[in-house]
Amino acid sequence: MPQSGDGKIVLRNISLARQDRPLFGGLSLEIAEQRVGLIGDNGAGKSSLLRLLNGLLLPDAGTIVVHGLETKVQRARLPGKVGFIFQNPEHQIVFPTGAEEIAFGLRCTGMPSQQADTAARAFLAEHNCAGWADTSVSELSDGQKQHLCILAILAMTPSLVLLDEPFSSLDLPSRMKFMQMIAALPQQVIMASHDLDVFADFDRVIWIDGGKIAADGAPSQVIAAYRQRCIDSIGRTS
Amino acid sequence: MIAPYLTAKTWLHHVSAGWKLLALAAISIAFTQLTDWRGLLAAAAAVLALYLLTLLGHWSRLRLYTSLLPLLVGIGALQAYASGWEIAIASIARLAAMILLADLVTATTPMLAMMDALSPVLRPLRRIGVDENQVSLAVALVIRFMPVLLNEWTKRSEAWRARTGRRPPLRLLAPFAADVLRLADHVAEALESRGFSIKRSQERNQEENKD
Amino acid sequence: MFDTRDIVRISLFAALIAAMGLFPRLDIPLAGGVPITLQTLGVMLAGALLGPWRGAASVLLFLLLVAVGAPLLAGGRGGLGVFFGPTAGYLVGWIPGAFVTGWLMQKHWPGNLFLRAYVGALVGGVLVIHAFGLFYLAWKVGMSLRQAVVADFVFVPGDILKALACAYVASIAGPRSLNVPKQPS
Repeated sequence: MPQSGDGKIVLRNISLARQDRPLFGGLSLEIAEQRVGLIGDNGAGKSSLLRLLNGLLLPDAGTIVVHGLETKVQRARLPGKVGFIFQNPEHQIVFPTGAEEIAFGLRCTGMPSQQADTAARAFLAEHNCAGWADTSVSELSDGQKQHLCILAILAMTPSLVLLDEPFSSLDLPSRMKFMQMIAALPQQVIMASHDLDVFADFDRVIWIDGGKIAADGAPSQVIAAYRQRCIDSIGRTS
Repeated sequence: MIAPYLTAKTWLHHVSAGWKLLALAAISIAFTQLTDWRGLLAAAAAVLALYLLTLLGHWSRLRLYTSLLPLLVGIGALQAYASGWEIAIASIARLAAMILLADLVTATTPMLAMMDALSPVLRPLRRIGVDENQVSLAVALVIRFMPVLLNEWTKRSEAWRARTGRRPPLRLLAPFAADVLRLADHVAEALESRGFSIKRSQERNQEENKD
Repeated sequence: MFDTRDIVRISLFAALIAAMGLFPRLDIPLAGGVPITLQTLGVMLAGALLGPWRGAASVLLFLLLVAVGAPLLAGGRGGLGVFFGPTAGYLVGWIPGAFVTGWLMQKHWPGNLFLRAYVGALVGGVLVIHAFGLFYLAWKVGMSLRQAVVADFVFVPGDILKALACAYVASIAGPRSLNVPKQPS
């Protein structure tokens, strides 16, 4: 079994089928960088790869070790270490008010309700969002909702944060604010996005195409290669 | 979402939810024993007086019941025609009294207190695997997503109107219902990625019960 | 008994029933404050799309919320008062109504999904609910059964239309709801 200390993600010989169709076959990957981007067409496997890393999906074959936890065996402990931000914050916020939303994650780790509530309010106050504690979530803007999602994840003190196209519903100012927040995170961050500009300061970008790694390396190069491929494919079909 | 719970503090607010529910149950049983229309009319008047006095300044609340009036009148008329006016008055008086009393409890008891008071009623559900954690999550989900669904439908309704100038047909409900099911899948996924697990919350319940 | 996905579906459909109380009226507005509005359609849909047990659980959850004071009934009504009113029978009848709708729909008769759903909604959504409503009117309010039937009859045509709508929706959205394969665990 591959060893992996904190901060490292190792995928060894992964196979995965989605909806009865093979997606990944014999995929191996090691990720240790702090800021890693995932790009690629829709359906190429970005979302599936991210879900493999937090245990939402388990590989049909092969092993995945994330920060010392093997996903198939220690799945229950993954949410404590790995935070996941989905595309649409509307799908992700489960409780009607900010404090309840944050407290929920804490309660899932076993904290008693009262304590979780106090801790949640303190956490919101720390991040200058104390006003959200009792506000109805439906009154928040999309950008604020996404912000709340991030806070809910951070309250669980994860060591890895995964983001699956988190910008789709955000306007430009919200997107920029969000990027700032992400840049400041001490955790390891792996993010999938169609917005190629956000990866400028990342350490590494992986281009996934049809379940395989088409390119992997410095952001500028990989993105340029992907862009070129997209331009070529349009040229061919017109 | 605004609950019909009144945040203004009346004397009844300080009585515990459990007592109020018990009192309601006891009075409701007592009322079924009363058959004399004069007694019931007097009792109804007393209840009305209690209602108006306790909720002084909040009588606008009664507006919620305006739609009920035609129904009560209709029932009263039917009964008067078929069984005589004494029986009709007795029925209506009993109904009105109970409705007002029950509303008094609702107006002076916050939802959370009601849920706590009702939790012994829910306890037998544990045997089929439903525990309080699941119920409180379910309640939170309903409160959280009711405005979301309403908003979604309104958006589609407006989009339809913009295109056709007419009110939306029920036909639009089909893709809407499908989307609700899809939304459920997304939310379930988000819950699981946050570490929510029914098995674990049940195990935790069992541990808490042992203490 | 229920997994995470079930709980979410049950909750979302309870939220749908609540939201439908606020949908702008598509039908002819029915008088009297009887809880026979578009919400009954939501109840039928819960049974049709979630199946008998989850559908009934969804309605039960909805009624629990109404009982503790949430203003989720059409017209913004809620609280214990509604369960003491003349229409309490209908409300309680929603639970077996959803169950029977879902149960009948899952039966493998000959006939297409639409027909099964329509029969299910008619029996569960109209017959069962009105039976409960009627009997409660007769018993608690003290009317005779005949009087109750007369009082109830006004609302039946509207509900038959709703059963039709439910069948239509179920025939389109139904197959997905009951057959989606779960993720490998």
